[in-house]
Amino acid sequence: MMLTITIDRGLESPVYEQVADQVRQLVASGALDPGTALPSVRRLAGDLGVNLNTVARAYRVLEGEGFLVIRDRAGVTVAAPAREVNPSSRAELLDQMRVTLARLRQAGMATDELIQIMHGEVLALGGQRKENSHG
Amino acid sequence: MGEAIVVYLFLAIRVLVVGGFLLILPRITRKGLLFGFYVGEERAEAEEARRVLNDWYRGCKTLMVVTMVVGVAVGATGAAFGMAHSAVVGNFTGTAVLLLGALVLYVRVYSRARLLVPTGVARQAETAIAPLEAGRTNAERFAMVALAVCLLTALATGAYAMVRYEAMPDRVPSYLSAFGAADGFEDKSILAVMSLPSLNLVLSPFYALLALLTATAKRSMRAGSGGRSIEAQDAFRAAVANLVSGMALLICALLTLLSVQTIRFGFSETNSLGAGIWWIVGVLLVFVSGSLIMILKRYGQGGALIEQGSTDAPLTGGLADDTHWRGGLFYIDRDDPSIMVEKRFGIGYTFNYGNPTAVLITSAVSVLLVSVAVIGFIGIVH
Repeated sequence: MMLTITIDRGLESPVYEQVADQVRQLVASGALDPGTALPSVRRLAGDLGVNLNTVARAYRVLEGEGFLVIRDRAGVTVAAPAREVNPSSRAELLDQMRVTLARLRQAGMATDELIQIMHGEVLALGGQRKENSHG
Repeated sequence: MGEAIVVYLFLAIRVLVVGGFLLILPRITRKGLLFGFYVGEERAEAEEARRVLNDWYRGCKTLMVVTMVVGVAVGATGAAFGMAHSAVVGNFTGTAVLLLGALVLYVRVYSRARLLVPTGVARQAETAIAPLEAGRTNAERFAMVALAVCLLTALATGAYAMVRYEAMPDRVPSYLSAFGAADGFEDKSILAVMSLPSLNLVLSPFYALLALLTATAKRSMRAGSGGRSIEAQDAFRAAVANLVSGMALLICALLTLLSVQTIRFGFSETNSLGAGIWWIVGVLLVFVSGSLIMILKRYGQGGALIEQGSTDAPLTGGLADDTHWRGGLFYIDRDDPSIMVEKRFGIGYTFNYGNPTAVLITSAVSVLLVSVAVIGFIGIVH
């Protein structure tokens, strides 16, 4: 099945964030395998009818997060997961997770419910990665 | 008289092709669009929309009859007064009536379709969907090959003309009849000799470039069609791009042969244009009309006929966005990097006039074509 990106200008979040969120989700869920080529900035921006800078910004954000590799000739491809966790990235991501957990807790979510959701999400990611790595 | 019959035959073919095309256009348009407006899927099939459509069909049939009558009448009147090439004048007049009449008809139904746009459909334009696919398609590769062939052939033809220029006689053919005989001559000049090779250098690469841009043109999806909308548009886009690539190659072959034969005419190496030219014209006509019929019958505009049975989901993106369309025919969006977009009314693709590259291409080709036409006209007059 063909994968697609959908944007909605009526939403509050900026278009580049919507693009980045969806690509991130597709990579994390294993729907986009490492090495998969993505459309060029011009092609994706053309089909979405948005400025080139919007898609370029989304791709740069994803490159910075380690989801994509951008090369002039090869174009944009999905990056393979890192073999080892970079200590500084780990600290930064854990900080982000703490903030998110605190916000969920503050929003009224019970501890058990939080643990259950986290467990389900991690299992879903782990399952996909395992399937992919064993081809 | 013989030439007049051929000219009127061409006018009749043009009337049938253009008139027939205008008649079937509303039937093969993407669902939800009505004469240049996105009125939504439901309203496009309501009673008021049907009344507008019937008005269009009646107008088109009348226009076809009027065009033929005016074309032949002008030609016959010109002939009665001894006017040279009166059939050609009649042909041009008929064509002008056809095009102007079609424009008037369109403006009439367009202004009625505008009243059917409900306020709610503007929301659709805020959503856009794009496939996450990379790589070149076969249609794109074919267009690139066609572009290279057209450029090299046109340059080689120009070089051939330049090499033979010095040795050419003082008088060269300036007008060739429908049967390939030289009816007019003019003094030898670079402009006279290079007009056809120049036309070849502009026209055929332009068509090949158009094919390349078509192969990568913007697509407008329907939400929730399960990929059917994308497949339909991809198939349609490839078919249109291949048609334009084929046209580029055939036009290049035709203009190359015409250029070479005209020069040989000047040297008295031949006394006719040869059957080859008519063969290419025949192949071009059969190829273009056959491909168009296939595209209209199998795909419809933008793959409308394929996606029709698969989803009733609303259109998204550029095609649903009335704010960027002028008169339903011209798309202008400075933020959209697309050079070509699907037409709302018609078959194939149009330029995004908000894109500087699109404006540059259309301006440059228009200026070059007008220059070549003026040079050719000066040749005929002298």
